[in-house]
Amino acid sequence: MRKKKLAAALLAAGMVVASVTGCGGGDTATTGGDESAKGSTDEKKDDAGSGEVTEFTMFISSPGSEINSDNEIANIIAEKTGVKVKETFLTGQTAEEAVGTYIASGDYTDYINGGDGMVKLYEAGALIPWDDYIDKYPNIKEFLTPEEWDMFRQDDGKIYWLNPFDNSYGEDKTTTHGGEAFWIQTRVLKWAGYPEIKTLDQYFDLLEKYNEANPTMEDGATTNIPYTILCEDWRYFCLENAPQFLDGYPNDGSCMVDKETLTVMDYNTSDTAKKYFNKLNEEYKKGIVDPESFTQTYDEYIAKLSTGRVLGMVDQWWDFAYTINDILKTQGLDKQGCNYVPMGLVIDEGMENRWYTAGDTVNVSSGIGITVNCKDPDKAFKFIDDCLSQEIHDLRFWGVEGVDYLVDDEGLFYRTEDIRMQVADTDYKASHMCSYSNFPQYGGTSRDGKNAMTPAQQPTEFFDSLTDDLKECFEAYGCQTYIDFLNSDSERPGEWFPMWSFSNSFSTATPGGTAWTKIGEIKHEYLPKVCMADDFESAWTEYMGVYDSCNPQDYLGELQEELNRRVGK
Amino acid sequence: MTSKKNKITLKNIKRQKVLIIWSLISIVYGFIFYYLPLGGWITAFQNYKPKDGILHSQFIGLDKFKFLFMDATFIKDIRNTFAMGIINLVVTTVMAIVFAILLNEVQNVICKKSVQTISYLPHFLSWIIVTGILHDMLSGTGVVNDILVSLHIVDQPLNFFAYPKMFWPIVAFANVWKETGWNAIIYLATITSIDPSLYEAASIDGAGRWAKIKHITLPGIKPTIMILLLMNVGNVLNAGFEVQYLLGNGLVKSVSETIDIYVLKWGISQNDFALGTAAGIFRSVVAILLIVSANYAAKRAGEERLF
Repeated sequence: MRKKKLAAALLAAGMVVASVTGCGGGDTATTGGDESAKGSTDEKKDDAGSGEVTEFTMFISSPGSEINSDNEIANIIAEKTGVKVKETFLTGQTAEEAVGTYIASGDYTDYINGGDGMVKLYEAGALIPWDDYIDKYPNIKEFLTPEEWDMFRQDDGKIYWLNPFDNSYGEDKTTTHGGEAFWIQTRVLKWAGYPEIKTLDQYFDLLEKYNEANPTMEDGATTNIPYTILCEDWRYFCLENAPQFLDGYPNDGSCMVDKETLTVMDYNTSDTAKKYFNKLNEEYKKGIVDPESFTQTYDEYIAKLSTGRVLGMVDQWWDFAYTINDILKTQGLDKQGCNYVPMGLVIDEGMENRWYTAGDTVNVSSGIGITVNCKDPDKAFKFIDDCLSQEIHDLRFWGVEGVDYLVDDEGLFYRTEDIRMQVADTDYKASHMCSYSNFPQYGGTSRDGKNAMTPAQQPTEFFDSLTDDLKECFEAYGCQTYIDFLNSDSERPGEWFPMWSFSNSFSTATPGGTAWTKIGEIKHEYLPKVCMADDFESAWTEYMGVYDSCNPQDYLGELQEELNRRVGK
Repeated sequence: MTSKKNKITLKNIKRQKVLIIWSLISIVYGFIFYYLPLGGWITAFQNYKPKDGILHSQFIGLDKFKFLFMDATFIKDIRNTFAMGIINLVVTTVMAIVFAILLNEVQNVICKKSVQTISYLPHFLSWIIVTGILHDMLSGTGVVNDILVSLHIVDQPLNFFAYPKMFWPIVAFANVWKETGWNAIIYLATITSIDPSLYEAASIDGAGRWAKIKHITLPGIKPTIMILLLMNVGNVLNAGFEVQYLLGNGLVKSVSETIDIYVLKWGISQNDFALGTAAGIFRSVVAILLIVSANYAAKRAGEERLF
């Protein structure tokens, strides 16, 4: 009996010691929230060798897949840098709700990517300034030009966050169209003999004809869904903002800007908007638009796309392609022509299409910051610096040499079909690949001057990785990249671009922000109604009436002011 | 309860020392978790900024309340909250009573026990699961549509979530499915405490099943019904958050949004904590008024009451 007790006591003591030393290995994280972790950070003990790994936490206000805790590349990076990051992605909430909840509780993670909520986090005093650290870390400093850094300064003159995306190192090698477009499956184009599709009418015409001739997929049982619309919550851009592009304007997000007069115009009330929604209404009645469009959730939408049933939709590349392309590949559906290519549609033939905007866009309204809860900011900044070094950057995006990519005699990285299949596998991605996707990253050319920063941009790798159907389609339209389907040679719209970097941080503190919020609420309700209405005209009139009652002039006025400021008028 | 007032003497206190200590704990608990947070209500009258905190935010009086009641959405949300709250209260109460009485009439003990156990299990499921199940069942390819189509009641699968008219019934159905079994437990317990000799006497007088339910069971559980109703009236404004939040979509927005969702949208998402608090205060005040008036009504009717 006694022995047992003694043994139990010893065991318990052993566990306490183990947990203390485990955390004493420099766990400054708030993970698990256990007191022992907090209490022991000061008494850091030297673990065997130099392998002292700090685990930071990070919240990311966009959805994503968590990697396994014993992820192989994460461990390699931890060995090299001494830091591991536990990422938590957005689930079941909107980004605003999640950020608001963090602010309300004050329980921040070490790193945070609050999306468009960064200003809110700054206003809540949640972020620590970067100014003292930027000069200390060359890779961080190099990431932006001094002018660009200045754009991130807040009203107290300091920098609190950095946008990790859309930044090219060296020569731009963009191959994919990351933004919005009307997407269409290659099998539809192939069936019709790769016709020129320029207008909205032609697009739907083709979908109708194809669907009439081929109501099902190759298996003969799964019926096609000619066109679906995602409009859950903030993702309803797939429904609402196409009119600005159809009118030949670039993605200013919240308005259209007339280049000549430099005035802000509302795309919600334009003639094109009416024509577009009228078209959706007609197609809905014909059964071309998926009847579940307006009630489906994002997960249901992704599930639908994964089956390859959906012939076309409006979406932004990042919102579907990173998930869908791999799933289509693992199911072999890419061989049935279920991959999507973008169509740069306009409302009337002969108009310029501005779906693609070349060059990097510095989006100052969102990014990654380090919060006041971070116990060791110096180490946190050093890790960001490390992430941008070529060695770690290659690990993040290419993987391990010899395993995830091979190097040919000229030093060019490439992948075999087997490797491509492997890195598309969900389990492998979780257990092996670790891109720390929300840390600063480059596109463009690697520091060696030969390779691309990411596999998707490696010209040879990009074209080789396309399936035969895609290659055929690319060749039929004379395209080298996805962008060639749109308008690869277009110039930048102007120095104001994009207006969304302003409107994304609208808050209800101003009348314009309040109007913007109300308009969003109204559109969520009325746009689906308009699309489903038996009598389009009366539904549209009703919608416009309610729309006007939100005082849209307030928000347009504030946008105009910002536009004037940006162009220095 | 007691008509004669006892004097509080030291001796009394000493004798009840243990009881007093235990009740003090719950008083302190209640104070910390229910009353202390009310201090935060002050933010409703401020232009609250998290950085400045409660102490340094600027006071703006009733501006936030004005904004609330000028906002047509909020007015709609009040209506939705009340409507769904009342529908849920009535439907779940009636269903629970009916279910308890029916179950009580079942003679076979094994059957009775298993039905009871199975029926209250959904109570332990979280709403996210229940709404997930509902979403699947009612989707275009779901069970309900399969049945409707195969019975030729409809030609095309119905998209239930696209019709504002269907939303309240769906929510009520979800509540009934989830809570009926659980709510019936307390009625069942009350029914078993009714003196069996009453039933015997009634049988001798020639009362059938129906008559016994009407004249003995129902009057027997009436006090319980009243108390539960009273307690739940205050909950009418807690018509729910999860169900509406999880089942709602743009199309049914005008009928699905409740005050709680409004608070979330403006308070948390838009970071207007003051406005969220104002809406919360409004809800609490109305809830208190409801409970007090329901209690008063019960008192006047000579029924069981809370206070």
